[in-house]
Amino acid sequence: MIGPRAPSRRALVVAVLAAATLALPPVLPPEWQSLYVFIGLYAIVTCGLSLLMGFAGQVSLGQAAFYAIGAYAAAIPAVHGAPPALGLLTGPVVAAAIAAAIGVPLLRLRGHYLAFGTLAFQLIVLTFIAEAGDLTGGDIGLRGIPPLGLGSLQAVTPVQYAYVTWLAVTAVFLVTRNVVRSRPGRALRALATSESAAAAAGVPVAAYKVEVFALSAGYAGLAGAIYAFFLSYIAPGSFPILLSIQFLVMAAVGGLGAVWGSLVGAAVVTLVVQLLQEIGSLPAMPTQVPAVLSYAVYALVLIVVMLLLPSGIVPALTARAARRRRDDVAPTEATAGDDARASRLSSVL
Amino acid sequence: MTLFLQYLAAGIASGSTFALVATGFVVIYRVTGVINFAQGVFAVLGGFLAYSLLHAGVAHGLAEGVAVLITAAIGLVVGLVALGRRGTPPLASLIVTLGLAIFSYAVVITVWGDLPISYDGLSGLLAIGGVSMQRQYVLIVGAAVVTFLALALFFGRTYLGMALTACSSDQRAARLMGIDVWRMGLLAFAVGGALGGLAGVLLTPLQPVQFDSDVGIAVNGFAAAIFGGLVRPVTAFAGGLVLGVAEAMVAGYYRSSYETAIALAVMLALMLWQASRRGPTEE
Repeated sequence: MIGPRAPSRRALVVAVLAAATLALPPVLPPEWQSLYVFIGLYAIVTCGLSLLMGFAGQVSLGQAAFYAIGAYAAAIPAVHGAPPALGLLTGPVVAAAIAAAIGVPLLRLRGHYLAFGTLAFQLIVLTFIAEAGDLTGGDIGLRGIPPLGLGSLQAVTPVQYAYVTWLAVTAVFLVTRNVVRSRPGRALRALATSESAAAAAGVPVAAYKVEVFALSAGYAGLAGAIYAFFLSYIAPGSFPILLSIQFLVMAAVGGLGAVWGSLVGAAVVTLVVQLLQEIGSLPAMPTQVPAVLSYAVYALVLIVVMLLLPSGIVPALTARAARRRRDDVAPTEATAGDDARASRLSSVL
Repeated sequence: MTLFLQYLAAGIASGSTFALVATGFVVIYRVTGVINFAQGVFAVLGGFLAYSLLHAGVAHGLAEGVAVLITAAIGLVVGLVALGRRGTPPLASLIVTLGLAIFSYAVVITVWGDLPISYDGLSGLLAIGGVSMQRQYVLIVGAAVVTFLALALFFGRTYLGMALTACSSDQRAARLMGIDVWRMGLLAFAVGGALGGLAGVLLTPLQPVQFDSDVGIAVNGFAAAIFGGLVRPVTAFAGGLVLGVAEAMVAGYYRSSYETAIALAVMLALMLWQASRRGPTEE
């Protein structure tokens, strides 16, 4: 059980974080506002991926495909005159529906096979988007996506999108927390460890895997929908394989199987990339410096974090906090369990 | 029919390079359990190194050979970083190899710039039974087959090769036999580097490479390797050929923009068919 002091301290931390999240957008300098939106969007996608990998033990190297599907499913009706707010529904629903449909055959594959299957799926989706020009605008992309809104209420500025995004982050985190703590959540953890054992204990393994796959795709679809309205332009080139890899990196850096890990991972990776671009584009820098610097430092951060904290930032911090608490409170089963889970799950791939 | 044979020849040639990259994946995965996503980087670096050596006046053949040796050394370094401390989990190693792949972009852009490069391979056409094909195709297929046979001999007949095979079948037993599993892992990375580099020096004359060409090469190689479950080199080699031929046929008879998507869909369908024949409980 969690120690007596832990819940109140935790609640305080969450309250402070929530207040800071709400207060931050208007006071940020303009160029940081859209960054703030992106951190939120990436956190949503990464949260789904972390749920899929960390709790259900299934790998996806094609999460950006669902981000793309969500973006197009939201943007296409809006471009043809449907109320844009509807996109916040069509984006996640279409992405989740497609995931549920392809998940039935695809999730028969395991481990590396599934990683390949999801990667192949993304390449197929990108080819389809590029070739279905009448519907999607093809390679050139879809322009003139109206701003998000319902009637006269419209989100136009980055600050407004920041609030929309972080509202979505909150919703996604609450849903995830409840899923993780529910009976299906425990069943998912069981099937991540051993599918046969879970099946023997009466867990409907195949159905649960498809459901969590669809849920993670729905998250990615929601983030994709907001992305489409925010940028008002999407193209197949906005959703490369590297983006899927970046989601995987965010999930792993933050820590798989830790809900907060997705937020930490998304924020750390996004901020590092942004910082590097700013340093690289300072005046008096030769033209190749931005690219070289951002690739090199991004790579080094990635390598150092993964070698020093192989289970990710958040699990490492919780483990350290648990060790420090050991004096006043007995080591908590919950955190010890978290730690063991994180290290076990990092051998998913 | 002639057209079909020409597509087939082109497919087998590009398939052979996928097969080389795939074999690299398999050699490394079998011994270390790491999926080395920097595998495509070896090919890119091989191409660039050969390009520089050729421009420095080194003769054909020697330049490519030296480039392959250097990529083997680079493979060793990648292995040294990726394997990390003892007990680094495979997912962490995988992310580290992704990081190294991104790091290579910085190196390539600094040294060679961000434009694609190419150089001349074997020129001229060879006519076999009325089908004319580029000599470079023949060279690629020949080199791939010879390399594959040499690897088979190495793994089956030499002491070092058998030690590597031992590590892949049971690490603990291998350690008990006095084999240094970590050192063997590094050796596997070096072999993987050489295989990737070889694919690169052979492929560059056919299709120019640039700093981020490694993603496409790695995806194709991974697709071929996964066909053999990442552990069976022969199936991986066959997978590379299937993939290459499928892509060439789609590009020839349909549209080249669909080549990768359809080839991957075919691989996926085969894989799902295999999975449906295995029991649901088999891990």
